[in-house]
Amino acid sequence: MNGVLAVLQRELKAYFYAPLAYVVLTFFLLVQGYYFSVIVAYLSDPRYPAGKPLELFFGQTIFTWLVLIFAGTFLTMRLISEELRSGTIETLMTAPVSETQVVLGKYLAALAFYVFLWVPTLAFVVIVRYFTPVDWGPIAASYLGIFGIGALFLAVGLFASATSKNQIVAAIASFFFVLVLFSIGLLESLANGETAKAVFGYLNLWQHMDDFAKGIVDTRRLVYYASAAAFFLFLTTRALQAKKWR
Amino acid sequence: MIEAQQLTRRFGDFTAVAGISFSVPEGEILGMLGPNGAGKTTTIRMLTGFLPPSSGRVTLGGRDLFGDSVAVRRQIGYLPENVALYPELRVEEYLGWRGRLEGLDRATMRRRLPLVLDRCLLGDVRRQVIGTLSKGYRQRVGLAAAILHDPKVLVLDEPTVGLDPKQIIAIRELIRELGREHTLLLSTHILPEVELLCQKVMIVDRGRIVAEGSPAELRERWQGAFGVAVELAAPVTGVAEALAELPGVESAAAADGEGRRFRLSCARGADPRGDVFRLAAARGWPLVELAATRASLEDVFVRLTTRDEDAPAPAGEVAR
Repeated sequence: MNGVLAVLQRELKAYFYAPLAYVVLTFFLLVQGYYFSVIVAYLSDPRYPAGKPLELFFGQTIFTWLVLIFAGTFLTMRLISEELRSGTIETLMTAPVSETQVVLGKYLAALAFYVFLWVPTLAFVVIVRYFTPVDWGPIAASYLGIFGIGALFLAVGLFASATSKNQIVAAIASFFFVLVLFSIGLLESLANGETAKAVFGYLNLWQHMDDFAKGIVDTRRLVYYASAAAFFLFLTTRALQAKKWR
Repeated sequence: MIEAQQLTRRFGDFTAVAGISFSVPEGEILGMLGPNGAGKTTTIRMLTGFLPPSSGRVTLGGRDLFGDSVAVRRQIGYLPENVALYPELRVEEYLGWRGRLEGLDRATMRRRLPLVLDRCLLGDVRRQVIGTLSKGYRQRVGLAAAILHDPKVLVLDEPTVGLDPKQIIAIRELIRELGREHTLLLSTHILPEVELLCQKVMIVDRGRIVAEGSPAELRERWQGAFGVAVELAAPVTGVAEALAELPGVESAAAADGEGRRFRLSCARGADPRGDVFRLAAARGWPLVELAATRASLEDVFVRLTTRDEDAPAPAGEVAR
């Protein structure tokens, strides 16, 4: 546990001591603020059907996804590849900590930063609440969904980071894996058989997020994120161990 | 304390280390010498648990390094060859991090941190960001981190590279001190360092141990013939021939172009210096120097690690 905490703490420092965190944070908030204002403008236009701004903010649009996919990639690409490139991995792997502890520490740091990234969006909730009553259930569900899917994407990104010394290669790999995970569920609408439809439906992240935004929480989906994230973290540990043998 | 048995490491078809065995008793300093690419760093990486050996095993204090990895690694302090640090951290922060990684509690850290900063001459840069430090300082930060948790075993891969002469002397003094409290394995290119610090030396080439023993033993075993250097104040003819006639002298040759310096190669056990002096006195040669030339560890090293085809005559050796 101490090892995990030590790694976690160092990674958080690394986020905040480097410009990348601030760049990501700024762009994230700019983009989110822009989306929110677009949604509000759209809903205030009498020509368009009425709707709930926060439901649209979290679901039904591509906006959420663009942010999720990129944030996952940018937050994780450096985590392991930088250690491989600079050689600090040697210090880390000869210290009395296991690969699992290192991976967990790094993952939790990324997850913490990811949560930190989303906290300011609570301002949108406050703004909406100022003008109109809000239903808290769907909002809580939306953040749960954002957390779950983000947790999965970060695990994928961390794995990609362990595959290359080069951050850019890691980022591209992560982007690719995440895109596959995201789009595999979209096959639901193209699938013919009952089983195929059910399987793709189970993996349909777009649909999941739509439901979360409406306040529907299906535990099977949370189990999917948790188990897939655990699987990718396991792969990351294995990738680190495999480095020793090459 | 450190026990390596038949360590072998292959990378694909290439064998970097081919069956190296050695042991370092508690409180001793073992020096590992070898040319670039001899397998020193690979050997060290196997001893610190970074690389698993293809075959063979390492035990520290009787415990298997790969069976009991995390626990055994706690006893090792390691300074890697390229000291990689996190450039964004301050020296103190970095050492604090290493302390946590080693599982040191706050009280221990408060005690150890000023101690290692002082020992590694880092007091004046403790608040500085590592990225702005010179190579010599980084090297010392790495060393400070390696000894922070007071490990039983210290493994130092080229600890004085990149330091200026004054720092080298200070760090050698520190290593010598550390050698009293820790079991130490030192890899280096720098031969005087080994002669100065190590009780035992092992010379490694192409993944094998080619010689081992104390520096004195190695010199004795590999020095070849005892040599004598003779220098005259002014050139005299016929000196080489006359010297070669002396008992115990196998050959004598001019060592310069003007006929003032000569080198004698002697039979084992023979010391003709007295005879040389009497001969010079009898013939009225203006003798200004008469010295025994002993092979340095450098000669031993060069001789052992030079391939036949490109062997230059090692310095200090007399033609036979």
